Amino acid sequence: MIRVHPEPWATMVAHAEATFPNECCGAMLGTADGDDKTVTFALPLENAYTGGQEDRYEIRPEDLLRVEREARQRGLDVIGIFHSHPDCDAYFSKTDLENSCPWYSFIVLSIQKGKFHHANSWLPNAEQTKAEQEPLEY
Amino acid sequence: MAKILIPTPLRQYAEKNNSVDVSGATVGEALANLTTQFPDLRKNLFTDEGKLRSFVNVYVNDEDIRYLQKDATAVADGDTISIVPSIAGGLC
Repeated sequence: MIRVHPEPWATMVAHAEATFPNECCGAMLGTADGDDKTVTFALPLENAYTGGQEDRYEIRPEDLLRVEREARQRGLDVIGIFHSHPDCDAYFSKTDLENSCPWYSFIVLSIQKGKFHHANSWLPNAEQTKAEQEPLEY
Repeated sequence: MAKILIPTPLRQYAEKNNSVDVSGATVGEALANLTTQFPDLRKNLFTDEGKLRSFVNVYVNDEDIRYLQKDATAVADGDTISIVPSIAGGLC
């Protein structure tokens, strides 16, 4: 189960809507007690994909290094990554899976016609062959 | 000794340490010593063939080892080694 507090959730939705029709991305910080995760801070990141960003996103490793440092400074943990699917459902695509990391929760926000529509959280495996849906509360 | 920062989700495999001091003259030796000390970390960082998993990047201080000497990158006392994943995705 992953719970996102109202303030980070608002940050995530605002970032996803502002970057529409492109995909957005960012990191979620908070606390984890086993599989029970709470997101208390969201950090929007730049989509570093150099081609069309309406259907792709990429996070620079150096940005994640900065996120990890910020989490340590705040006394929080890096819980997961969020990104948006413009005018598309919040599934975990083949591209998402093949470029994922099993260490984190991945929240996908569906943005339809520029407005938030729905979201799902996913847990990819280490082989990048499948992702299990994780209960999400926001 | 260099310090390896352990990403949050991997601390459960490293006795909950957020960093571990390791010996080793190169990144490869330091990571080998880390996974000898905490064997459960190995499958998270390396494939069965012993290669770093495709989504794992390693930094020495602020430098990505892919642009240095990779596993053979030298590590000095007081260096910080960070483990950072690659993440991307898309609609299709």
